Amino acid sequence: MSLIQVSNLKKSFGTNEVLKQISFSLEKNEVVAIIGPSGSGKSTLLRSLINLEQINGGSIQIDNDYLVHDGVYVKPNDIKKVTGKMGMVFQHFNLFPHLTVKQNLEMAPKLLNHQPAIEIETHAKDLLDKVGLTEKADAYPSNLSGGQKQRVAIARALMLNPDILLFDEPTSALDPELTGEVLKVMKDLAEESMTMIVVTHEMGFAREVADRVVFMDGGEIIESGIPKDFFSNPQAERTKMFLQRNYK
Amino acid sequence: MVEYWNKIIWPMLEGAQMTVLLFFIAIIVSIPLGFLLTLAVKSSFKPLSWLAQSYITIMRGTPLLLQLLLICFGLPMLPIIGEYLVFDRFVAACIGFVLNYAAYFAEIFRGGLLAIDKGQYEAAQVLGLSKWQTTTRVILPQMFRVALPAVSNESITLIKDTALLYAVAVPELLHFAQTAVNRDFTIVPYFIAGVIYLIMTLILTMFFKWLERRYKFE
Repeated sequence: MSLIQVSNLKKSFGTNEVLKQISFSLEKNEVVAIIGPSGSGKSTLLRSLINLEQINGGSIQIDNDYLVHDGVYVKPNDIKKVTGKMGMVFQHFNLFPHLTVKQNLEMAPKLLNHQPAIEIETHAKDLLDKVGLTEKADAYPSNLSGGQKQRVAIARALMLNPDILLFDEPTSALDPELTGEVLKVMKDLAEESMTMIVVTHEMGFAREVADRVVFMDGGEIIESGIPKDFFSNPQAERTKMFLQRNYK
Repeated sequence: MVEYWNKIIWPMLEGAQMTVLLFFIAIIVSIPLGFLLTLAVKSSFKPLSWLAQSYITIMRGTPLLLQLLLICFGLPMLPIIGEYLVFDRFVAACIGFVLNYAAYFAEIFRGGLLAIDKGQYEAAQVLGLSKWQTTTRVILPQMFRVALPAVSNESITLIKDTALLYAVAVPELLHFAQTAVNRDFTIVPYFIAGVIYLIMTLILTMFFKWLERRYKFE
């Protein structure tokens, strides 16, 4: 059984239908890159999975538990349990500006109270080390570069040991010279078999790191496949046009 | 000279005590009350939101002096219930200041909330925080930080507004200054009163500057 199973997902903002009958699935340890033009619905799809958007129809199943079943959401407590299996990294980092880097990492696990504080602190240290920011533990986000902020955000998402990490255009708000350090961390995670969905404009990353590329346009999945085939031999006309413009 | 000085300074300092007392009562009660009003305005229960907004409009839209006069002298004149609404002047003044300043603080805090990015709520949600945890750990600390300069400004205004007590005959700083001016036919007490107000606002300014540095998050 797939780790994520989406079927016939529909989502509208008013009369504007942004997702039309989307179905897709994600296997454990798989890295999927979702690409497509702006307004294609790729971010909305990602946000629906973790309940940041309410969908209007269809089903979402995470690790065999329903988040939405035929357009009906499960009970609030169950929503929390299901979405708790995922972590999310945002385009604009969304770090808490009034907390230090270390506090950003430790707040949620400490409030959720699943582990003793000392374990949480060790975990935070390990993760900061992993993203290469040990020396920034006591800095406030305002004193970090964009790339550093995003690496902190990734570490913060990892603090809750998610089964799946969702990335919503993680490098789109960064200066070009800072995207590398973030992509490197994501690549390391992929190599450690983290299950990830990455909405991105980084074709290089999609090609190199993803196991599968999904191309969306106009609220539909137009085409998906392994990167090698997808980039060298796209089938649909819209995919070809998109790749011509965005990928050389 | 020294003798005259002693004669006027002590009553004035006593009056200043009244000023300081009113200031603290008004600040301590109106800030939480203002925050509750902010929540009421933002409430999805429309009648409550509408009521809170009307309250703020009325309190901000009419002079504080008028409100003070109404509470001190107007309420007791109401038929039937009037006789139960006779307060001690100082108590009445406290009520007036609290009700008025709560409206201003409510608007200040509302502005603070508007300044918080929606991404903060989303980050808190995906990290599994409850509504209460999100409010107390993520939103309020940021809201207070954003609101701090405006709160500082409002507090300084409050110190100076305490002079309105003069109009409802509560013996505060300005009252004693005016008494001395009338009695001794000299303007020196006005200047002394001015200096005392200035010292109070300076201390307050320094306190808020310190708070702002302390919560700079850098």
